Amino acid sequence: MQPLPPLAWSAPTTIDEVVAALAEGVPGEVRLHAGGTDLVPNLKRGVTSARRLIGLGRVAELQELVDGPADALGVGAAVTLDDLGRDPRVVARWPAVAEAARQVASPQLRRMATLGGNLCLDTRCRFYDQSAFWRGALGGCLKADGDACHVVPTGRKCVAACCADTPAPLIAAGAELELASVRGPRRVHVADFFAGDGARNHTLAPDELLVRVWLPAPAPGTRAGYQRLRRRGAIDFPLLTVAATVVVERDVVRAVTVVVGALGAVPRRLRGLDALAVGRPLDAAVRAAIAAAATRQCHPLDNLGDAAWRQAVVAPLVRRTLEALEPATAPDAASLR
Amino acid sequence: MTIGDRTPNPRAYDAVTGRTRFADDLTFPGMLHARLVRSPHAHARVVAIDAAAALALPGVHAVITAADLPTPFGVIPWTQDEHALAAKARFVGDPVACVAAVDEQTAIRAAALVDVTWEVLPHVLEPAAALAPEAPRVNELAKHGNVTKSVQLAFGDLDAALAGSDAVVAASYDFAGSTHAALEPHCAIGQWDPAGGLTVVSTTQVPHYLHRELARVLELAEDRVRVIQPPLGGGFGGKSEPFGHELCVGKLAMMTGRPVKLRLTREEVFYTHRGRHPMHLDVRLGATRDGRLTGCDLRVLIDGGAYASFGLVTTYYAGQLVTAPLRLSAFRLDTTRAYTNKPPCGPKRGHGSVQPRFAFEVTVDRLAEALDLDPIELRRRNCLEAGERTINEFLVRSTGFRDCLDRVERASDWKRKHRQLPFGRGVGVAGSFYISGTNYPIYPNEMPQSAVQLKVDRSGKVTVFSGACEMGQGVEAMLTAIVCEELGVAPGAVRVVTGDTDLTPVDLGGYSSRTTMMAGNACLRAARDLAARVAEVAGADWRTRPPVEAFRVAEARLGALGAVGSYDTPKDVHGAYRGGTIGASPAYSFTAHVAEVTVDVETGQVRVDRLWVAHDCGRALRPQIVEGQIEGSAYMGLGEALFEEQAFHPSGLHRGPSLLDYGLPTTLDTPDIVAMIVEGGDPEGPYGAKEAGEGPLHPSIPAIANAIHDAVGIRLDALPFSPARVLAALTPRPTGRS
Amino acid sequence: MRSSDGSLIEVHLTVNGDAVRRAVPPERTLAELLREDLLLTGCKQGCDQGDCGACTVLVDGRAQLACLTLVVAIDGATIETVEGLQQRGRLHPLQAAFVAHGAAQCGFCTPGMLLSAVALLRASPRASRDEIRAGLAGNLCRCTGYVKIIDAVEAVARGDDEEPAP
Repeated sequence: MQPLPPLAWSAPTTIDEVVAALAEGVPGEVRLHAGGTDLVPNLKRGVTSARRLIGLGRVAELQELVDGPADALGVGAAVTLDDLGRDPRVVARWPAVAEAARQVASPQLRRMATLGGNLCLDTRCRFYDQSAFWRGALGGCLKADGDACHVVPTGRKCVAACCADTPAPLIAAGAELELASVRGPRRVHVADFFAGDGARNHTLAPDELLVRVWLPAPAPGTRAGYQRLRRRGAIDFPLLTVAATVVVERDVVRAVTVVVGALGAVPRRLRGLDALAVGRPLDAAVRAAIAAAATRQCHPLDNLGDAAWRQAVVAPLVRRTLEALEPATAPDAASLR
Repeated sequence: MTIGDRTPNPRAYDAVTGRTRFADDLTFPGMLHARLVRSPHAHARVVAIDAAAALALPGVHAVITAADLPTPFGVIPWTQDEHALAAKARFVGDPVACVAAVDEQTAIRAAALVDVTWEVLPHVLEPAAALAPEAPRVNELAKHGNVTKSVQLAFGDLDAALAGSDAVVAASYDFAGSTHAALEPHCAIGQWDPAGGLTVVSTTQVPHYLHRELARVLELAEDRVRVIQPPLGGGFGGKSEPFGHELCVGKLAMMTGRPVKLRLTREEVFYTHRGRHPMHLDVRLGATRDGRLTGCDLRVLIDGGAYASFGLVTTYYAGQLVTAPLRLSAFRLDTTRAYTNKPPCGPKRGHGSVQPRFAFEVTVDRLAEALDLDPIELRRRNCLEAGERTINEFLVRSTGFRDCLDRVERASDWKRKHRQLPFGRGVGVAGSFYISGTNYPIYPNEMPQSAVQLKVDRSGKVTVFSGACEMGQGVEAMLTAIVCEELGVAPGAVRVVTGDTDLTPVDLGGYSSRTTMMAGNACLRAARDLAARVAEVAGADWRTRPPVEAFRVAEARLGALGAVGSYDTPKDVHGAYRGGTIGASPAYSFTAHVAEVTVDVETGQVRVDRLWVAHDCGRALRPQIVEGQIEGSAYMGLGEALFEEQAFHPSGLHRGPSLLDYGLPTTLDTPDIVAMIVEGGDPEGPYGAKEAGEGPLHPSIPAIANAIHDAVGIRLDALPFSPARVLAALTPRPTGRS
Repeated sequence: MRSSDGSLIEVHLTVNGDAVRRAVPPERTLAELLREDLLLTGCKQGCDQGDCGACTVLVDGRAQLACLTLVVAIDGATIETVEGLQQRGRLHPLQAAFVAHGAAQCGFCTPGMLLSAVALLRASPRASRDEIRAGLAGNLCRCTGYVKIIDAVEAVARGDDEEPAP
């Protein structure tokens, strides 16, 4: 066994209690514990330190899916990826989100891991996700115990990647996050939640709790898709993720969003797609144009290895995602199922 | 239960109920926990070790260093070049000190407090660089600079054979290192009894060799040392030599008087390694227009890592074991194993011969293409026959290789697929052979390689005492089947005791696919001896009545009932030249694979859709277990082909010492594997049986490589066939079929 | 329920039907509790990082990884381990099928594999071969190539397996 460091524990039952406990805690010493699938191995490896854990398992609100205004769906941050991936509402209306949840890691890990944890997943890099001994042998890195980057030797900013599955489809779905702290609630788009620093790639304040993910009702004619690459058929983190949402009205594209993840710290939303696609049918030429744009805008680094290969597969993965979109049904249709 | 039926493995009941007690499941009163202090440098001299802070930590009982275990050790008597704790670290992860404390947490903290002063030395990671005159000396105990062993042998007139060929293919291959990754990490527990001596419980495949090395290094008489080998959670060669941590728990138990357990973390298992050697191979192979193979020229540079391990044998196997199942008229080999500052390589399932087999079988595929022959047909035209000697003089008494080819050809629908599937899909074939045990033991002696004792009494129970190593491959099932067959008892009446040097007669261990041949024959002889004596007093028809009745008559007439049997190898099957005993075996198994693959030409990802494997094991004593060995071997080869690699950073640091980064194939990466058993019988094997545990791995990798070529027209001559490598080979687009 | 640094927290669990009350430090994992405190060593440690599935047990009926589960986080839960699968000395049908099909070689992955299979067939009693493959994707086996494991689970799912082994 690789024992964990000594920890203190509390298990509040309400959001108010959680944020109060966060506010009392010393930043850097307090960590939230939901599924533990990222936190516990990171504590064992010593890439994360904590003295006190606040368990979220008893906060009922965090475990629930709630219907919101305008047919939105609120997914509690502590809903497991397994539950998320099989929820009929999510499957019918946000199929790319459900697909991403079903692709994470392994069956056991999906039953433990939560949506909030996936959004807050520590960034990954092959020079960082290692034991204390290993990192020590290399002399540490920008993200932990050192001042050199082994991916970009001249770099000053950590380039560890956001290797979670759900951020890209959530961004493509226009999802928002509901955050809470003793200072009050706030909402932020998932796209704005992330920050371009691999050392800490999100903007959650140390005293803030991610409460809920709001999925807005898809517009009529919405189609969505998610694809990812990994070495093995299970367990592995993604090496590249692609999510797309396309709104098609009378056979022409009205809106298109494509997000590519697992490149760097922030999932990349492709720019300039409207000019390529809006007003045209989503045919092979448009899909190829979007794929080509993805190649120009995405530049994988060696943070996860095989940078040249990952660069080469951006275009086919984007094209395939656009070829395999599924209808995101309107709420009425969903409830009829 | 009789030979060849499908009675379940008796050990499966413990496995499915969780009752199997593996080494790490054992605890003893007052047990301490040990932790190794490892080098963060690939090559560094230990200038000083200050253990004061560690020893001052409450709960710490002892810290030992190189000076406490000064005797070098190693599995091969001629190349004992390592110490339990190094005075000079030779790879990142080489242990230099060991701490024992009341619990694991304290041991970990204490290990971190051991202050080592290093003198960092230049390191060398590549074998070619290690052989250069100016290269840093990796291992001072090596006799020839950075060379573990170099072998040059020639049989027949190679130059004439190649000159007389209608086609000669020359190709070079790079086989990446891989590791065993048995799911059970290594664990050892030392116990010291001032009266009885030292007991070490360990995850070892070789209790007997460990016994010898513990006695020698710890300066104990051999009769004061006991090694207990609990069931292993997989071995695959990764636990088949004595290790420093086993010596450390012995020493610490003697120093503290307390039981001491040391369990490696998964990361440490990657540093301990002893896995597949990386090899660079250059092959030239010729054939005549009508598809007769002529000469083969094989040059191999072997990356050994920091210690010799079995490297002397590896260096021979890397050349000697390509000379069947296909007949060659001339053969020349030139193999060299170099030391490098990386974790030591050793024997992994198919020791030493999986790499040259890959090179050879892909070269045969190239030759078939050059001659415009079907690659199965080309192989068929060159099959060695039973009773023939290989070009390097190994006597092959039985071969079912032709049947293996027929079976995979038929089952895979080869004739309708090869060179006919749409672009992106393909099939490939490969064949191989492997030893059923080594003809000569690792240390010279004239005692048997395996012995078995049987105890029978009036209860009707038969107890088999065997030193063979159970690691999931079915030793107990095999011995039980033999006893049931010979004595007519039910499987429930047989108890098998293995892996305890105090209780069981010597067997040299679970390596080189020797157990069915050697322990099986020893058991068969003991059982037949016993049956003969029972028959003498209970009548020749005693088997027609419940055996317990005959046992009672026999016990009354003869007194206590027991029998011993032993096995040693025939001495007329090897080559009459220096080195001609290494690679010689009492019998050889044969295998053929067909792999069917789909290549995603846009991403480079290869999916193996199906593997058909036909394996000639002579006779399947337990067919279900043989199938399991075939399936598991093919799986392990698939992992090496597509995913696995022991890769290193320029600093010498392992690139990803975790199961996550290393990437064993999951259920979703593994196709259904069609295992077919070919039984022709071998005159030496028990009931005709030969090995099944290692041979079936060999053709996996070249069959997949050849299938990829059939699918998309590229030759992958370096492992693993990762998407990046495949995509790079596909760009620019090849001139394959469309 | 709150601990200051170093204090123990009392948890109540039901383990294989038995009520278990223990005071544990918050950093105690379920794998440690099962193996070291309760001596239920069928829960195996292959990696201790969540990469192999050997420590899989059922927590409130869901197959999870004990090496990544904090005991304090599952207070009140019902735990099933391989040691609890037999009922009155009779093998669970999946255990019997693993024996009959030769699905266990070294046996190190077997407990975790069985518990993943139990959870899978409870949720999906007629699971197809592909569903079985997907359901067992988090359990590594180094011995079998998975063929006989999947065969065994499929035989139970199809209800066509022979009499349970004794």
